[in-house]
Amino acid sequence: MQPAYAGCTFPALHLDLIMLFFRRTLARFFIPLLLIVASMPAHAQDRAAILTEICSGDFAAQQSALGQLASAGVEQGETGASWARTIVDAFEGRNLRCGDGMAVIDGDAGAVMAGTLEPVTNVDSASLDAPSVNLRLRAVAASANAVLRLFTEMEAAERLNAANYIDQRREAATGTNIGAALERETDPDVRAVLITLRASLLMSDDDPTNRIVAIEAIAEDATLRNRTMIAEAIKTETDAAVIASGEAALADIDQTLAIGQVLATLYAGASYASVLFLAALGLAIIFGLMGVINLAQGELIMVGAYAAWFTQEAIRVTVPGLLDYYLIIAIPISFLVAALVGLIMEVLVIRRLYDRPLMTLLATWAISILLINTVRVTIGSQNLEFHQPGYVAGGFPIVGDFIMTSNRLFAIAIAVLAFVAVVVVLRKSLFGMNVRAVTQNRSMAGAVGIDTRRTDMMAFALGSGLAGLAGLALSPLYNVNPGMGTGFIVDSFMVVVLGGVGSLIGAIVAAFGIGQINVIIEPIYGAVAAKVFVLLMVIVFIQWRPEGLFAPKGRR
Amino acid sequence: MAHDQTAARVDRPLLFRIVAGTLFVLLVSLPVLGGPLSGSSAGVSPYVANIIGQIATFALLALALDLIWGFGGILSLGHGLFFAMGGYLIAMHMLKSGYVYGGVTPDIMTFMGWSELPSYWALFESFPYVMLLILVVPGILAFVYGYVSFRSRVSGVYFAIITQALTYVAMLLMFRNDTGFGGNNGMTGFTTLVGIDIGAPSMVVGLATTSVLVLLVAFLACGALMRSPFGRLLIAIRDDEARLRFLGYDTLWPKLAVWCLSGVLAAIAGALYVPQVGIINPRLLSPEVSIEIAVWVALGGRGALSGAVIGAAIISALKFWLTGFVPELWPFILAGVILLVVTLLPNGLLDLKLTFLRRASTRKASARPAE
Repeated sequence: MQPAYAGCTFPALHLDLIMLFFRRTLARFFIPLLLIVASMPAHAQDRAAILTEICSGDFAAQQSALGQLASAGVEQGETGASWARTIVDAFEGRNLRCGDGMAVIDGDAGAVMAGTLEPVTNVDSASLDAPSVNLRLRAVAASANAVLRLFTEMEAAERLNAANYIDQRREAATGTNIGAALERETDPDVRAVLITLRASLLMSDDDPTNRIVAIEAIAEDATLRNRTMIAEAIKTETDAAVIASGEAALADIDQTLAIGQVLATLYAGASYASVLFLAALGLAIIFGLMGVINLAQGELIMVGAYAAWFTQEAIRVTVPGLLDYYLIIAIPISFLVAALVGLIMEVLVIRRLYDRPLMTLLATWAISILLINTVRVTIGSQNLEFHQPGYVAGGFPIVGDFIMTSNRLFAIAIAVLAFVAVVVVLRKSLFGMNVRAVTQNRSMAGAVGIDTRRTDMMAFALGSGLAGLAGLALSPLYNVNPGMGTGFIVDSFMVVVLGGVGSLIGAIVAAFGIGQINVIIEPIYGAVAAKVFVLLMVIVFIQWRPEGLFAPKGRR
Repeated sequence: MAHDQTAARVDRPLLFRIVAGTLFVLLVSLPVLGGPLSGSSAGVSPYVANIIGQIATFALLALALDLIWGFGGILSLGHGLFFAMGGYLIAMHMLKSGYVYGGVTPDIMTFMGWSELPSYWALFESFPYVMLLILVVPGILAFVYGYVSFRSRVSGVYFAIITQALTYVAMLLMFRNDTGFGGNNGMTGFTTLVGIDIGAPSMVVGLATTSVLVLLVAFLACGALMRSPFGRLLIAIRDDEARLRFLGYDTLWPKLAVWCLSGVLAAIAGALYVPQVGIINPRLLSPEVSIEIAVWVALGGRGALSGAVIGAAIISALKFWLTGFVPELWPFILAGVILLVVTLLPNGLLDLKLTFLRRASTRKASARPAE
């Protein structure tokens, strides 16, 4: 209220202003000493001093008071913080009233003493003035309030909100009070925000040692953002020790960032490789067994992805509560649907063409355009929309800026599971033994009583089902539309050619290698260059080992 | 590998003569019917002449593939690459000569932001130079790729898949604008070829007639080549390459020779095709186009030159007719034709009669010997 009078020229108000000046000065220096301080514990004296300042109406004093309030939790813990928060709340809400050497808080249940929060009865709070709150003070108060919430809120989510707010509005935050809050904090998310916050606050500290501590603290979390923060800070820095420490920290961060970058690239490559591996594993089994290259393998990937989408839609309609688990539920469904399509292909077309491998290329290609166009006509050629459950959104930060994203992890997990399952099936089951026998010597296997046609049929279904799993694994990662399979087909074949026919290890190594080459070259020279490079590499490689990396020894 | 073919059969002499005769009749009648008689009821409109010309280039392309697949037993799923190569070279010639002699600024310079054509367009206004390139560039590519593949004995599905990948990568490259061949837009806006307006009816009929002539010459020449000792050797390699090696033949060079011949023929077909459609873009390099070529040959019957020509003519005529009113149905029809051919007619339409005969005899004989 006081500053509002400042520009007035009426004589009566001049008198009022003079009165006000006296009252303010008195309230600030003398009355508290006389009335409040006398018989109180130390922190109560502090409280009184703070209240005096906040009541003073002087901007600098009020600001300092809010600063002290914000730091109330540092030494006095939660009780202090909760008291300070009450004061700040009251101050913000204009419920803090000052006058006659005391401060009271006006509440619904009557006034309480600001210092002790005990009810007062003999004061008419309405006759007391509320200290003015201008825009800048309001910002400081809001910031102080957020700091205090860090000490007083029970819910981690509320504290996280407060921490994020402070990150934006740092008026009342200091290295000390955020540091104290950090020591009390148990929630990892809130801690993460507070650690950076405290560090960046300490960076602007007057004491060079504190700035060095801050730089070291920031450097502990090596992200690109923190690197920029330190680089910016040492640009304007004058203290040599701080600059040296900053540069050392930058070097450290750069190293970690580089490691993170490499890991992120490897990770992206591994996830692409998982999809390739799933598609190529099916191809390799079929090719090794029957000498048939299935050009529709890409479309079986598409079928798997569409099966996952239909699973999602069916769950959405019938049991919406399980929607988040559709990716898990779709694992057997994608596999079985693609396997069924493969089985039908085998029975109707492929089995008639065993002695004409080149014709199977044409036949499987015809099936692939049939599948693409059928889907295009019945469902449409737009990208399908997939629900993203919590477990495939987000990720885990590992090193530097490298975040292990869950959707890629999902693809890798599916590939690992499928690999284990295929190894178990091929090594331990009767069917697997038959597949291995027929792959090695078809006529001998037939002679000892293995039903080779049935083995072919089942193996074709298995290979197709693996492609379906690939479709499921890539649905959280890539666009799903009728033409999605064509992009994978060249790479999957390169995996088979590179890895060698019918070799599981070969497929893994080749898929990983081609996946890595793709993600390494892509950001530098583009996707086309990556494909060109992979192709040239495979052509050159075939000169050296025509039967692939891990071909079974022997003559053909 | 390819055991399903009748050993050492070059063609059916009767069918070969019928196809050659038809082509000859077309060659003689087309300039007359499309020229002076064009307006009359018996005449051929430039539109029909253009379609006949296009089909002739497709037949030439099929012939090229049949040489290597039908007689060499090596399937290429990348003949679209050679076809497009010929097409791009002739397109560059037409744009450059239009620019140099006709003063027409090609669209490609506008959207590529070129103030003048880059250095690799040098001399492209010269027709003999481009003709030479159409023979040499695809020939060199075919030689290099064929040499490294055949030398390391890459064959069968491996070879087919890698040719497909090669074409696919070429498509990706050509789709990029900075590769320098018009990118996604390709090349179009041709004005003249050998000094004649490209849209003139005489030019349309002339191009169609030339295509038929080239097809006829290639057909007769390839027929003679396949009946020659070289052709016999090639068929022998197809049927049992290992045995020939043991007999002391070096199988690399015959295969390589026919592979290069096939690539060059495909490029010539492309060079005849592009002036007739007036545009070339990277879609010609898509795997679908290359596989479609294999479908023509498979439908007509591999290992029979007349079959390749008939298959290409039937399927592309069907495609011209159907895509006119039901374009979305075409993929289904194509897929259906392929599945029908590969499952029921292993040697294509030429097998039709044979298949019926076999069926009839099967019905007569109650006990069929095990195969």
